[in-house]
Amino acid sequence: MKLSLLFFTVGLVLLLLQTTFLHLLPLGPVVPDLVLVLCVYWGLHHPTVGAALGSFILGYSVDVVSSPILGLNAFAMSLVFLAVYMTSRSIWLHSATVSAVVVLLASLVKGAGLMLAWVLFLDAEGLWLGALRYLVLEALLAAVLAPAVFALLRRGQVYFEGLKIAAG
Amino acid sequence: MLALLRKYQIPVASCACLLLSLYILTAASRGQLKSDPVGPLLLWLMRPLQVAAQAASGWVKGLHEAYWTTAGLRAENERLKKRIAQLEIERNRLLEAEATNQRLRQLLEFKASLPASGVVASIIANSASSWFQSCLINRGSADGVRKGMAVVTPLGVVGRVVDVSRRTAKVLLLTDANSGVDVFVQRSRARGIVAGSLENGTIMKYVKRSEDVQEGDRLVTSGLDGIFPKGLMVGVVTKVRKQSLGLFQSIEVAPAVRPERTEEVIVVGSELRELAG
Repeated sequence: MKLSLLFFTVGLVLLLLQTTFLHLLPLGPVVPDLVLVLCVYWGLHHPTVGAALGSFILGYSVDVVSSPILGLNAFAMSLVFLAVYMTSRSIWLHSATVSAVVVLLASLVKGAGLMLAWVLFLDAEGLWLGALRYLVLEALLAAVLAPAVFALLRRGQVYFEGLKIAAG
Repeated sequence: MLALLRKYQIPVASCACLLLSLYILTAASRGQLKSDPVGPLLLWLMRPLQVAAQAASGWVKGLHEAYWTTAGLRAENERLKKRIAQLEIERNRLLEAEATNQRLRQLLEFKASLPASGVVASIIANSASSWFQSCLINRGSADGVRKGMAVVTPLGVVGRVVDVSRRTAKVLLLTDANSGVDVFVQRSRARGIVAGSLENGTIMKYVKRSEDVQEGDRLVTSGLDGIFPKGLMVGVVTKVRKQSLGLFQSIEVAPAVRPERTEEVIVVGSELRELAG
């Protein structure tokens, strides 16, 4: 539970980065989705009820600061966590190099979830081509960043678990 | 039953989250989500961090620009380079202060010229998602900001307020696919709606094929949407296409205001009370 809380705090920091520093990168309107990378990490390496809730709340937080309607990203992030978790139960996805591919696919799942919710709850006019461009760019960017973010999160998790063992 | 639930607790929790988010989406899209206890709390928690991070981000940006400004002087000897870098940073700081001063003076003059009262606000965070074009400003319900109010600068329309907490407000930018501003073509008075589009940037919609619209035409607010005061600059027509089929023309627009380069804005609304000081 403590680890989930720690990860959730990390998620809020990543969200803060997404709304401020990452806009300094010369990427136009595309923002690297670090929150998504964290949700994928949760699904692969820390699948707990806390992580499922964390994915939902982080998605909701993105909605609070960005979306025109609440629930869009909460839905997409929950979907990503569930998809990654279910897939990782059946296929071995824990290699560092595979993480980039998993994040790429998860980003596409998130995009599909967003598009589905968008079509159902918002005006879908002019959505498809533009959405496809964002989807691909966002997925590639997240995949490129994934190994480094995964390594940092893994190191943090191992360090924290080491502290817990030492204390226990 | 309990053992089964325990065995599948993670998928069950995930599915519950999915259902909850669908419920929130449905309620929010129908306007039935009256109170959101988490959102304002989250914004309240994040506001000081965002203000600090945005300031630090501005500092990094300034430093980055200062670095590139001095990059051409690398051939000079080390002492001169250091001296120039120091002077350049100082100069940038002073120029920045002067520019801010000028912007704020323009904003105040513009504010005085508006038919409705306004509140000057700073942008403290940008959108966290590539799919939505929005920003957060440092004024909220405590300053009289209400949902639906117009957000403008002396250059033109920025967007409208879509969500308000006590000390912050979320602004849906003109460039977002879910926004819309009722406009006139200044020259021919042809009417349409300017909105963002994921596909083509900013576009002007619902303009009949018979209407006279040309590249370079200036678009101004009509005031008929009851949100934006009449006559504010919205953008300039950059491309007009009349396809062989369809009732309407396809018009691309360059917005008058580039949100990523905007730091201060004015929230306009008839119910706004003036800020003390």
